[in-house]
Amino acid sequence: MLKIIIPTVMLIPLTWLSKSNMLWINSTMYSLMISMTCLPLMNQFCDNSLNLSMLFFSDSLSTPLLMLTTWLLPLMIIASQHHMAKEPPTRKKLYITMMILLQIFLIMTFSATELIMFYILFEATLVPTLIMITRWGGQTERLNAGIYFLFYTLAGSLPLLVALIYTQTTLGSLNLLLAQYWIDSSTHIWGNSLLWLAYMMAFMVKMPLYGLHLWLPKAHVEAPIAGSMVLAAILLKLGGYGMLRITMMLSPTINFMAYPFMMLSLWGMVMTSSICLRQTDLKSLIAYSSVSHMALVIMAILIQSPWSFMGATALMIAHGLTSSLLFCLANSNYERTHSRTMILARGLQMILPLMAAWWLLASLTNLALPPSINLIGELFVTVSMFSWSNFSIILLGINIIITALYTLYMLIMTQRGKYTYHIHNIKPSFTRENTLMSLHLVPLLLLMISPKIILGTTY
Amino acid sequence: PAQPSVMAPGLLGLYARRLLAAAATRGRLAAPVRWESSSARAVIAPSAAVGKRAPEPTVHWQEDPEPEDENLYEKNPDSHGYDKDPVVDVWNMRAVFFFGFSIVLVFGTTFVAYLPDYRMHEWARREAEKLVKYREAHGLPIMESNRFDPSKIQLPDED
Repeated sequence: MLKIIIPTVMLIPLTWLSKSNMLWINSTMYSLMISMTCLPLMNQFCDNSLNLSMLFFSDSLSTPLLMLTTWLLPLMIIASQHHMAKEPPTRKKLYITMMILLQIFLIMTFSATELIMFYILFEATLVPTLIMITRWGGQTERLNAGIYFLFYTLAGSLPLLVALIYTQTTLGSLNLLLAQYWIDSSTHIWGNSLLWLAYMMAFMVKMPLYGLHLWLPKAHVEAPIAGSMVLAAILLKLGGYGMLRITMMLSPTINFMAYPFMMLSLWGMVMTSSICLRQTDLKSLIAYSSVSHMALVIMAILIQSPWSFMGATALMIAHGLTSSLLFCLANSNYERTHSRTMILARGLQMILPLMAAWWLLASLTNLALPPSINLIGELFVTVSMFSWSNFSIILLGINIIITALYTLYMLIMTQRGKYTYHIHNIKPSFTRENTLMSLHLVPLLLLMISPKIILGTTY
Repeated sequence: PAQPSVMAPGLLGLYARRLLAAAATRGRLAAPVRWESSSARAVIAPSAAVGKRAPEPTVHWQEDPEPEDENLYEKNPDSHGYDKDPVVDVWNMRAVFFFGFSIVLVFGTTFVAYLPDYRMHEWARREAEKLVKYREAHGLPIMESNRFDPSKIQLPDED
């Protein structure tokens, strides 16, 4: 892992010591090379993991998430170049440093063996994100957004700390690989239910679960583009990753605790999709669609079947790329009209046809069109949910339809129809923007050919 | 058959719309002289504002470009959107394309495509076929319902 972490840490002196005209080139170049160093981890043997050291390991679940993280940093840097162009060089370097710091924490979180280290880094990812949202966000609401974001996650994860320390004292070690073999011969006592809750609430808030999702539309909407990208693509998946790991070590006797969260997720999935249909703010629509997709992942993780774990992992990776792509597209609109209102930039297909192609592909993957990996994730989750409970198919079917509805609504609203009177103010697409979109889409489309690497530990 | 008195307002509407359309498409100069319509009671007169400049918009609309927004295409029509300086812009574009597409995506795809037996699926298939062949040849059942030997499992006492 050090071959990934040390170059990422060294990106910080790279940004501070670069000449200001080489700043973006250097950081983009080297962060792309770092994503190459993550690739050898893909060489996963059987169902065991690559145990690289006492502190770090990587297995079929953490490797695709690590790849996503390292791939996203250069994309974040490319996306930020326009709105940071006017800032003084020091502030640009600070911004890139925040992104790199976040990257370091995320890499270490996804590869941590020791759960306390995972926890500390899980919390540490909040700090650079908070700084990015509150310092470089666009509107005054960003302060409120930062507070919601910080305190929701902190309040959810404090019980996790208590639970981890309790497990450390009972089990003796919090090594993830050992804890999977913890034979917790416990009967049904209240303490176990509380332990389950304590473990899961942090990740439920992070995912987010429907009842605890209020921080997400605020944070996603107010964050600058790089913040939105990393929030939607990776930070939500931290919750999914944590849940996937923790369910391995919890006792199966307390699985009944999952029912309330299943209900919340099933209902919340339909609710947030419906809310998307009524949004005027483009980023808010994409944020609520993230909640909806993550509700699927929560359900898949809670039912704990091999197929559902495969679906959860595939859906996490697919949604990471798709959601980040949609935020980049929304940002390209925002940079032109300086407003997130959807109707202000409509009929774009007439003047920006290539961007319309990216919008179309992004919308098609968002609504889980076959054979994209989004479909693979959703299909596996739907099938395993059906086998868990026949009635859930009704709500899942309704959700799939409403997902298609709001995605097409977003597409038609921004791309089709008659353009506005102020359309001549809209500048043609830059190469940078087209590159950014294709760098999101090409991995997404390539993964269709070989989805085995994103199907996680139960493949 | 419609009465003329009923038809006239409709015709008035129709002709008025046509005139309005003509005025809209051809602008203020569509009516250079004053004339009265013979079919309707409309009077078309040239606008008093002909020849005068349109007033500058005093209201700043949200859709107007912000004055401090810099259009990168103005100074550099070949801008790739990375930087004002054309040289840095082109090199940034080249760096992103080379390192992003030519190195990471191409080598990455090749790496993933040639991964040796990811998670040992192919080995598992070969092993399963080998075992099935062995068991069929020896008359053993292909599969047993016990994964582990039941005599080796030690259960705790009934509590």
